[in-house]
Amino acid sequence: MFLPAFRSNFCMCIASRYTSFVFPFFAILTVVATSQAEDAARLEHFEKHIRPLLVERCLECHGEDSQEGGLRMDSRDAMLLGGDSGAAMIPGNPEESLLVRAISYTDPDLQMPPDEKLDAGVVEAVRRWISEGATDPRQSDGPLAEKESIDIEAGREHWAYQPIREPSVPQVEDTSWPRTDIDRFILARLESEGLEPTTDADRETLARRAFFALNGLPPTPAQIDEFVEDHSPDAFERLVDRLLASPRFGEHWGRHWLDVARFAESTTLRGFVFPQAWRYRDYVIDAYNQDLPFEQFLREQISGDLMQARDDRDRARKLIATTFLTIGPTNLEEQNKEMLNMNAVDEQLDTIGKAILGQTIGCARCHDHKFDAIPTTDYYALAGIFRSTSFMEHDNVSKWIEVPLPLTPEEEAVQQAYESQVTVLEDRIAELRRIAGTLIEDRTGPLDAASLPGIVVDDRQAEKVGEWTNSKHKNTYIGKGYLHDGNAGKGKKSLSFQVDLDEAGRYEVFLAYLAGTNRSSRTPITILTADGEIQRTIDQRKLAPIDGRFLSLGSYSFETNGFSTVIVSNENADGHVVADAVIFLPVDESNTVHPSKNSGEEASQTHEELAALDAKFKKLQANAPPIPKAMTVRDRDEPSDVRVHVRGLVSNLGEPVKRGFLQVATYRDVKEIPRNESGRLQLGEWIGSVDNPLTARVYVNRVWHWLHGYGLVRSVDNFGTTGDQPSHPRLLDYLARRFLDEGWSTKRLVREIVLSRTWGLSCKANEATVAADPMNRLLARAHRQRLQAEMFRDTILYVSGKLDLSMGGTTIPPNVKADYGYRHASVRRSIYVPQFRNVPLEMLEVFDMANSSFTSGQRANSTVAPQALYLMNHPFVMEQAKVAARRAMAETPTKLAKLNLAWRRTLGRDPTPGETRLMLDHLSGADEESESQAWSQIYQALFSSLDFRYIE
Amino acid sequence: MNDFQPIISRRQALKHSACGFGYLALAGLAQGAKTNDTVLKSAGPHFTPRAKRVIFLFMQGGPSHVDSFDYKPELEAHDGEMLGFDDARTIAKTGMRQSRQRLMKSLWKYGQHGQTGKWCSELFPHINQHVDDLCFVHSMHTEGVAHGPATLFLHTGAARFIRPSMGSWILYGLGTENENLPGFITIGPAAGNGGPRNYSHAFLPAAYQGTAIGNAARAAKDSTIKNLANPRRTLAQQEEQFELIRALNAEQIRDNPADAELEAVIESYELAWRMQNHAPQVLDAAGESAATLEMYGIGEEKTDNFGRQCLLARRLCEAGVRFVQVTYGDNTANPRWDQHSNMPKHKDHALATDKPVAGLLQDLKQRGLLEDTIVWWGGEFGRTPYAQDNGTGRDHNPDGFTVWLAGGGFQPGISHGSTDEFGHMAVQDKVHMHDLHATILHQLGLDHERLTYRFDGRDYRLTDVHGRIVTDILA
Repeated sequence: MFLPAFRSNFCMCIASRYTSFVFPFFAILTVVATSQAEDAARLEHFEKHIRPLLVERCLECHGEDSQEGGLRMDSRDAMLLGGDSGAAMIPGNPEESLLVRAISYTDPDLQMPPDEKLDAGVVEAVRRWISEGATDPRQSDGPLAEKESIDIEAGREHWAYQPIREPSVPQVEDTSWPRTDIDRFILARLESEGLEPTTDADRETLARRAFFALNGLPPTPAQIDEFVEDHSPDAFERLVDRLLASPRFGEHWGRHWLDVARFAESTTLRGFVFPQAWRYRDYVIDAYNQDLPFEQFLREQISGDLMQARDDRDRARKLIATTFLTIGPTNLEEQNKEMLNMNAVDEQLDTIGKAILGQTIGCARCHDHKFDAIPTTDYYALAGIFRSTSFMEHDNVSKWIEVPLPLTPEEEAVQQAYESQVTVLEDRIAELRRIAGTLIEDRTGPLDAASLPGIVVDDRQAEKVGEWTNSKHKNTYIGKGYLHDGNAGKGKKSLSFQVDLDEAGRYEVFLAYLAGTNRSSRTPITILTADGEIQRTIDQRKLAPIDGRFLSLGSYSFETNGFSTVIVSNENADGHVVADAVIFLPVDESNTVHPSKNSGEEASQTHEELAALDAKFKKLQANAPPIPKAMTVRDRDEPSDVRVHVRGLVSNLGEPVKRGFLQVATYRDVKEIPRNESGRLQLGEWIGSVDNPLTARVYVNRVWHWLHGYGLVRSVDNFGTTGDQPSHPRLLDYLARRFLDEGWSTKRLVREIVLSRTWGLSCKANEATVAADPMNRLLARAHRQRLQAEMFRDTILYVSGKLDLSMGGTTIPPNVKADYGYRHASVRRSIYVPQFRNVPLEMLEVFDMANSSFTSGQRANSTVAPQALYLMNHPFVMEQAKVAARRAMAETPTKLAKLNLAWRRTLGRDPTPGETRLMLDHLSGADEESESQAWSQIYQALFSSLDFRYIE
Repeated sequence: MNDFQPIISRRQALKHSACGFGYLALAGLAQGAKTNDTVLKSAGPHFTPRAKRVIFLFMQGGPSHVDSFDYKPELEAHDGEMLGFDDARTIAKTGMRQSRQRLMKSLWKYGQHGQTGKWCSELFPHINQHVDDLCFVHSMHTEGVAHGPATLFLHTGAARFIRPSMGSWILYGLGTENENLPGFITIGPAAGNGGPRNYSHAFLPAAYQGTAIGNAARAAKDSTIKNLANPRRTLAQQEEQFELIRALNAEQIRDNPADAELEAVIESYELAWRMQNHAPQVLDAAGESAATLEMYGIGEEKTDNFGRQCLLARRLCEAGVRFVQVTYGDNTANPRWDQHSNMPKHKDHALATDKPVAGLLQDLKQRGLLEDTIVWWGGEFGRTPYAQDNGTGRDHNPDGFTVWLAGGGFQPGISHGSTDEFGHMAVQDKVHMHDLHATILHQLGLDHERLTYRFDGRDYRLTDVHGRIVTDILA
């Protein structure tokens, strides 16, 4: 059975293909004196031409059963009332009538009937009918539905929009059980249902739970012992404080926020890498470690670029925070740039709505929200704020905005030194090239590909996209001429030089081309390597440095998978793009031989010096001090309100709406947005205000969810009327109120929840309790939780001893400009693994990492066969199992001690007698040689076991 | 509506099962209602289906309809004339209508084929022999002028939003017929233009994710399902490892008998192991006769790769896979059929695909599979009847193009709808991509308005609020 689907449930969130143009809702009723004969003729015209047309071609979608675009056409009144775009007709005025416009197919956005144009005669009949006053005997069956407008006051009755109360802590019967106020709320509810809480979790379990929940990693055997043996009454409290103070806390909790912030380091379409996005990730980690007040954290992400800064460092931090706004999935190649702007605005409103306010604001883009008190004017009030903000610089493919970050004085000095070195070298190289160039031209002539070392892919073997012309105009080519693009069709032509290498390894890649003054000075080259896609731009006006023929594109690793390709494109080229051949030279070989036929003969001093300087220059460039930049946004010069976009269309503008916020969640007069500002600053203040009923509630619920596995409101991203009700509404308000009183401190909130007795309960409960509350909404026991993908991977590496715990910084190689084909090889914590939308790290993907294209407050929790295949067969798991086994091998002598260590490292407990028997049995057949293999298998089985995957 | 269901144990789930692979492992189980209740209760089609499965032959880049199947004598007559057109790209970029364009006739000669006398160009000589089995839709139109958005729209019914792929929807609606294989498989998908998002389950449970075999840059003969094989270990070692995992988990579940979530994990290993043992035989075409291989063009240089992919599609269908996509494409920004400046290049792509596609049709037919298999051939859009930039290629055309369907209860030997006299805009009996989606679902017994999934407080469907069933093309 499917969920019942009512058409009215659908939110028309895609701008309708069919409807356009708002129409002022007025109907000029032409009062014309008519004779009876005329009346009869008009009626006949209607019956003969119009009624059949309406029945056959219109009513299926605009009748009793279905009202697309909110329009009914089964009575005159209904047609006059019209749909979302206004009245269907204006009697007496066919040219201004939407119906006529639709059926005459003159407006590409409004064409009815959608499958084909009506005959001209029929269109004319309709025109005549309307011009004669639209005689129509059809009556509506009942009163027409009034166009409802949203009642904000009534909407406020929904619990989430109510002001946050200050609930009194309830009385409980069993006063000895609660440890904190949280426990009193939980117990009171349990008592009212006749249930009681289960037993406390044992100390080993509690320690493991706390380490994972706060730091995302398991305790070491020593850390477990230390806690279990510490019998002082505040032992757990001290453990919690240690975990809160650990830098691992920010890494684990930062990941939670990155789920919500749909963080990624590349776009979906074209896979462009965001080279500066890592700074935002580090900002988030740092904010959690420093316990930045949450409201400030939010304000910085929305308006950090506009906020006051104490110093350069603070300013840099705040600029980086706004990356939050720009990392969404944007279709940068959308050709209609105004549509692109509005789509980007929509994406941001959707994210801010769900991530911060728990609201599906995006639903109000085309019409008033169907379930919540969010009129479409509220949407455009907010949209005005973001439409007054720039996110992209537009081009055929638009580009996100990056601005340089302030340099520290030291950075500045380094930068200057670098630049002057570059200038000196460049001048000298240019000089030498001039000399070398003339030398070479004296001994020109075609070269046979076979005479060259390495693997040569001639232009004739290249895969061509677009038209390329073969030329022999200059004679220093290889093979039978070279190709050029005729300096036309920029962006539509490319050459792929693909090679099937017999051996994987490192190769230096050379491009042969023929320079000239009419050439492109910025020819884009893409090299598909084993480490991903490398983008370069070369200047073909300059003579190729090696023998006037070859340019080294660098040395890279290649596999034998057929990916090894050099692509020469003419996108954005400013002159002829030319290519002659590509050579792959194994790196050992290239150390001794240049791909030049004559390198031995005329090895002049000039060449040697040039080669040396080239190498030096390359090295210098490779070690260039990075210019720190931030992905950010900027206010437009002329901020302005926007008009309602009827049905979401940029071509269908309605009334302008003053910039502002969600009315239903506004309780105090808000500051007017100054005319010369976008309003982001004010939006940040409104969101971070203690009067906002949503911000604190949504966040404390998220924290509860991250700690307990489920929120008090289970639909963590949706606090609207279609979301879930809170299981403990008073507790939710109590926590929100405490959170505000404690200065929006995440760490204090976490601490308070974790130190409750409720959080420390066992996962097991008696049958009666489970039967009474199978989904455990009342928390008589703790939820068993699955290790989320990142913890799963990090823990495997931690157990094997391979986890690299270094913090921060970019982890994307500087040459990787697009994520396609990227090969992950990192052994750092998963939060630092490049977050590529097209190429997620396989293990994280298989185990339900957050979808980085939208706010994911709640991870999926699938159990599917590809996970099992991964754990049984993926080299990563086998390799780490082997390393973990080898590591333990050296540490303890006996089988039993080794088993014990293995269990304590992976599962945080001793093996059960049954497990011990099983493993001894497994080991019994092994001789000395196969023993290490047997131990690897044990670790792999542990990684694949239930108790590893679930935290009690 | 999002009440949490009590967790159903494995045995109960198996009784309800309609979805096989992955699903049996209770996708999204612990997540509560958002995922599991709909999955567990989904029970096959809404009404009697005409077809059981789909093979989608994706011609990436946009093959030209006026050079292949959409015969336009007027275009030939007016070849070279400069006329005004509402060019989709020009409008999107500048808003300008009626830009001047030079008409360019088909580069390939047209002739009549089959009993039906269908006019086709000589671009696809082998497919032309099957025109009596094909149902042509000449009046397609869609969203998106660029490859990325149009490709996403083709696969998910949305360009901008993150939505499940059509194959995921179908699997969600019908389940698979083989517990040892994924129910939605995409052969040789391209990395670009949306990449994995084109076969992603988006917010549907992960069991509905499309499973990739290889990618566009990998030769078909070297392609397989991820982690299916373990070349580092002998079969005996693999079995030993599997048995050890199985035994250890049996020990660990002792404390929690009949816990559905934990049972699901155990079941996922059993499934994986079965897959590991059965899927390679399905993927391996070694047992096919020489005649069959020849029919697909396997062994011939130009057709070997796509021939292998088409043959694999047939083998997967036979084995009960619900939705198989075969992509003829690549990983570039200007994929295969994207001839902006060099129309003759279409010939190479036709050569590579023509015989394999014809072979697939013939093979399905002679095995009786075409009856209940929908074969869908088409690109993300078509191409303009005029030359781009007055050159020798054609630009993208989302406003009018051709797809064809075969089998699965589509009326054979007909041509539905038409473009204008030059082949630019669909004008008669227009079929939007949403309509095509709705119609294909219909043939599978699924009502596109009822195939919904609740996410973030809203019911979603493949066709959003659109889509009409094109009844005229149904047999």
